[in-house]
Amino acid sequence: MSALRALIVSEARILLRDRMALFFTLAFPLIFILIFGFLMGDIGDVSQASMGVFVASGADEDLLAETLSTAGSMSIERFESLAAMQEAVVDREVDFALSWDGTELRFFYDASRVQENFAFQQVAAGLSSDFDLRRQGAEPVISVEPIDVGEIESTGWFHLVLPGILAFSVLSSGLFAVSGHLTAMKERKVLDRLIVTPMPPVALLAAIVVVRLVIVYASTLITLLVGVLAFGLRYDVSWLRFTVFVACATVGTMGLGTIIALVVRRPSSASNVANVLAMVMLFLAGIYFPVEFMPAFLRAISEGLPLTHMANAMRYATGVMDMAETEFWAITFSFLGIAVVLFPILGRYVVRPLRR
Amino acid sequence: MKDVLFLARTHVITAIRERITLFWFLVFPVFMLVLLALIFGQIGQEGEINLDVAWVNRDAGGSDPGGFTAAVETVFEQLGTPQASGQLPLFTLHRPDPGEDLDAFLEEQLTALRRGRWDAVVVLPSGFGEATYARITGTAEPGEGAPGVSVYMSETSVASEMAAEIIEQVLGEVDREILTRAGRFDPSLAVESETVWVGASDEETRYVDFLLPGIVLMGFFVNGLFGVPGAILFNRDRKVLRRYWVTPLSVPRYFAGFALGHLALCGLQFVLLYLLGRYGFGATISFARPGAALTLLLAAVTFMAFGFLIASLARTANAGMATANILNMPMMFLSGMFFPVGGLPAFLKAVVYANPVSYLVNGLRLSLGVESASFSPGLLIGVPLGWIALSVVVASRKLKWDVER
Repeated sequence: MSALRALIVSEARILLRDRMALFFTLAFPLIFILIFGFLMGDIGDVSQASMGVFVASGADEDLLAETLSTAGSMSIERFESLAAMQEAVVDREVDFALSWDGTELRFFYDASRVQENFAFQQVAAGLSSDFDLRRQGAEPVISVEPIDVGEIESTGWFHLVLPGILAFSVLSSGLFAVSGHLTAMKERKVLDRLIVTPMPPVALLAAIVVVRLVIVYASTLITLLVGVLAFGLRYDVSWLRFTVFVACATVGTMGLGTIIALVVRRPSSASNVANVLAMVMLFLAGIYFPVEFMPAFLRAISEGLPLTHMANAMRYATGVMDMAETEFWAITFSFLGIAVVLFPILGRYVVRPLRR
Repeated sequence: MKDVLFLARTHVITAIRERITLFWFLVFPVFMLVLLALIFGQIGQEGEINLDVAWVNRDAGGSDPGGFTAAVETVFEQLGTPQASGQLPLFTLHRPDPGEDLDAFLEEQLTALRRGRWDAVVVLPSGFGEATYARITGTAEPGEGAPGVSVYMSETSVASEMAAEIIEQVLGEVDREILTRAGRFDPSLAVESETVWVGASDEETRYVDFLLPGIVLMGFFVNGLFGVPGAILFNRDRKVLRRYWVTPLSVPRYFAGFALGHLALCGLQFVLLYLLGRYGFGATISFARPGAALTLLLAAVTFMAFGFLIASLARTANAGMATANILNMPMMFLSGMFFPVGGLPAFLKAVVYANPVSYLVNGLRLSLGVESASFSPGLLIGVPLGWIALSVVVASRKLKWDVER
């Protein structure tokens, strides 16, 4: 037991002295959420959009004003000339614009806003239809009542991105912890010295696990806190689920990391393999881009990635996504199972000096 | 000159043989091009997008004097049918089995929606047909509103929001059709609505045409960011460079060969990505313009210089790779390469303005006519040149071409 304690202390010291590892574990998720929080916060959110309006002299303005008053929280900016309004669209002072000359409604879009124009066009279609009905004095006979089924108030896609980033942070820490760290110990011949002591191989892995668990848990808490404080995101965190999931997912992904450490011997190559795997999963697991928009074959691949299930479980634990309770625990204990199975089996093969 | 060409060839062959370099150099940009084109390129395109929608008709079997309930149901049935062979229907409709308890079915569908399996649940209320008929014939009670169709959606899902918007538009069309048939709305008197594209082009830019220049620059950027410090620092740390220095080869000639090889790699990367974009995804932009060619050359040189800057500041190869890893995502995403950066707060805008990638991306898209200018022409060239100058100064002073003895 004292050997394990000594290993834990030395692992903690190594990690605290390794500024790069600390940076990647603690600061990197923060950088990600700061960038993506602001970058993706209002993509597709037309309630935050602004529309320019120009009404030619002599055109009936009242009916248009009445229609625009139903445009919700979207901001409306009036222009004195068509040219000034078009310039504002090009300069992105407004997101899109509308002109009314008494006979025709013209909607102006910046041709290069390829990711946003679809949402603006939807708004324009709604306004155009509403304006038409009002002009002919017709009242709709059908009303549509949109109802959000979410249990907590959503602030859009970014609300789901943050738990996804937390899951990614757990995954990358787990993968790199064993693959990068252990292979680096081999290359520096630190492992050679440890192996000639009576230390059981699993004790070294256990020490790495304990230290990483603490640091990963702290990292997820800090990231979550920044999301809440900096972006006003609200999460209904179930701390039991969150804590158990972070612990199981960290050890599970470390178990996956032992496979990399087993297959790839050089530390730089092991880190590269872990990096490539993490990066591919990051983009396919629906962390940044909604999985729903992917073609069927990519969705099938996404379903097979551990990060997809980690992100969904993290979203459930933070209260932004619903999931069957049994599914959540199945995911959580699957990761624990991976660790329990892989560590003892692979420990003796991974904790070996570098073959020369 | 022969030695320079030989070194350039060596650099290209080594890069292609290194699996990890090959991944960042080619596989990753291709992966991003395919992924983003498949995800964002199809948004809003009929036959490409398919949404799971549950349909609950509580008015089935009720009185429907005007046939309105049946009409709405028919419209949703049509949307659940592919418009052409090989295409996906807009909606995959999930409906209760005949005789199934509607409350239990609805509860199940709402759970599926909350869990992200469905995109929307539409509920046509009981009495819909009669209430609509009463409004049309003017026999509705005074103050009675239009019969409401409930559209359940989840605000945390982009697909669900899109499904709700589409359903709202569809019901709007049905509404107009009913009003038209009732003589309350005359489509021939409807206001004409025109779409005008302004800015870089007078027609809508296709997503792949917007994406391809960004992916090409991403390839160049990753190549410079990882490839240059990787090659220089690993060769230095493994004492490969030391072996060169015992030959008559000088540092400037080594550098010339390396730079030529790097530019050749960028050229190869460009050709492969362009061919994939054009023949795989139907990109229509032409890079055969002086402005585009010069911007591509400027980008390749800027990112190579940036790679040398990292190599100069990192003590070891691993530190160089770690620095590149830290800079990679922020520089890529805070440049407008993939997402608009107009709404960022001041402290992140400062990063966008200092980031050479921002100017090169905007410059390339501007020269290709797929984006309007976000910066003045002086800045588009001046900032990348400034980074090249800074990198050259730092590298000439700090870069160590051999391990310390």
